Amino acid sequence: MDIIVAQSLLEPNAGLIVYKVIVFALLLFLLRRFAWKPIVSALGEREETIDTSIRKAERALEEARKTGEKNEEARRAAEENARRVMQEARAAAERVRTEELEKTRARIRQMQEQAQAEIEREKQRALEELRDEVAGLAIRTAEHILEETLDTDRQRKLVDRFIQQLPRN
Amino acid sequence: MRALNTNIRCRLVVLLLLAGCACLAPCLAYAADEEGELDAVAHTADGVYLDFAPFGAVELPRIFLRKDPWGVDVFSSTRSALLSERYVIEHEEDGHAEVLHGEALHAAIEHHEHLYAKPQPVLGSMVLDLSVTRHLVFGLLAALITVAVFVTLAQRYRRHEDRVSAPRGLFQNMFEGLIVFVRDEIARPCIGPKYEQFTPFLLTAFTFILCCNLMGLVPYAGAATSNISITFTLAAFSFVVGQRRGTRAYWRHMFWAPGIPLPVKCLLAPIELVSLIAKHFALAVRLFANMMSGSLLILSLIGIIFTINMLFGSLTATFVAPLGIAFTLFISFIKIAVAFIHAFVFTLLSAIFFGMAVEEHHEDETHAEEQPALAG
Repeated sequence: MDIIVAQSLLEPNAGLIVYKVIVFALLLFLLRRFAWKPIVSALGEREETIDTSIRKAERALEEARKTGEKNEEARRAAEENARRVMQEARAAAERVRTEELEKTRARIRQMQEQAQAEIEREKQRALEELRDEVAGLAIRTAEHILEETLDTDRQRKLVDRFIQQLPRN
Repeated sequence: MRALNTNIRCRLVVLLLLAGCACLAPCLAYAADEEGELDAVAHTADGVYLDFAPFGAVELPRIFLRKDPWGVDVFSSTRSALLSERYVIEHEEDGHAEVLHGEALHAAIEHHEHLYAKPQPVLGSMVLDLSVTRHLVFGLLAALITVAVFVTLAQRYRRHEDRVSAPRGLFQNMFEGLIVFVRDEIARPCIGPKYEQFTPFLLTAFTFILCCNLMGLVPYAGAATSNISITFTLAAFSFVVGQRRGTRAYWRHMFWAPGIPLPVKCLLAPIELVSLIAKHFALAVRLFANMMSGSLLILSLIGIIFTINMLFGSLTATFVAPLGIAFTLFISFIKIAVAFIHAFVFTLLSAIFFGMAVEEHHEDETHAEEQPALAG
């Protein structure tokens, strides 16, 4: 090829550079205006939405966890309360039972004592009566025996001395 | 059992590919021009025509800016420019240039040689060749595809519920992935908190370069990024976008770094300036060289078949062809990776330069660095 070769691989072409500057500037402008701006802003918006969603979910989870903990705590407290109440009731019942028993016992003892006293009193009275009866009988017997020998006063004195000598019961 | 099945399937695929390669080989002969030569450089370099071999070539319009007298000449093709006789091409003979005309010109046009020449105006002199070239067409196409894809994608975010819901479908997922990748893996870590003002540029550069690079894999198309003018323009944009936002501290550290003796300062300032320009120059050359080398490599691998055909005859070439095509296939796969990697590398390095420009330097840091030196 003997014609002077114009195109070479390393030779910059001024005309092409002029065109390219215009084309690339235009491309830059068009894409920035109609593509990158809406797309990048949308991507940012989406990322923000995802971010807030995740944060919201995390917060909700945290809240749920807290609520669960609170519930658990409340349940445990209620259980504790119930146990205590039951224990108290049982103790109260026990106390009441013991008290009742004591009272009954006391009453029984009192009744026993009363009965004893009654019996004692009755016995004393009976003894008194018996003594009087015995004295009368003795007097009458003695009267019958000693009608002749003794006057009444002397007789009475004798009998009394006799009775004094008798055992109490 | 399943592993065996997969193995057999893999082998079948490879065999089919190889068979396909062997069938393709004769078709590729059309890629070579009439003389049976395949000019890899001419195919890789820019040109004022679109090559649709074997269906012929389409010449692109030529626009010239000339002076003495000033004027703009527009022609539908190089051919019409030359036939109008207002523009001529030169022919080198015996060490001096000679203008082609008459029979010789027609012969040159017949052999498509006029496409590789540089036309000169008969009247006045050329200021700027504003001709539409192949790489400009591919670059425009890539720009159109990029705009079409991403403006369509932007329509998906119109309604509020679509803005906040997950991306749906292959289209949205794929391209949104790219955008998120550039923003989160390139812009944010390299630039820091001020990344938002650079995201549009980085996204545009990434998607446009990626589209250009991938177009290099399309038959009849080519990578606009395999042209140094285009990568220079891209690097220049990166330079302007980054340096325009350079902080005062950044410039001060570059040209009058604190804590350094005066003579060293005077020495460092030009070095810093050169390094700044070299960084962006490297940006342009890296992208250009990588994209061009892929194209050159593929054409060279196919060219081997024709070279062997000429040297050892058609029988050897028939046996070599499948091998050459298999290699080409392999390189094509690598080119897919390279297309992504170099779009990424360009964007990443741009982002790093932006990050350096907008970084807030802290005065106390330099003083802290000085302290041990003084103590020592």
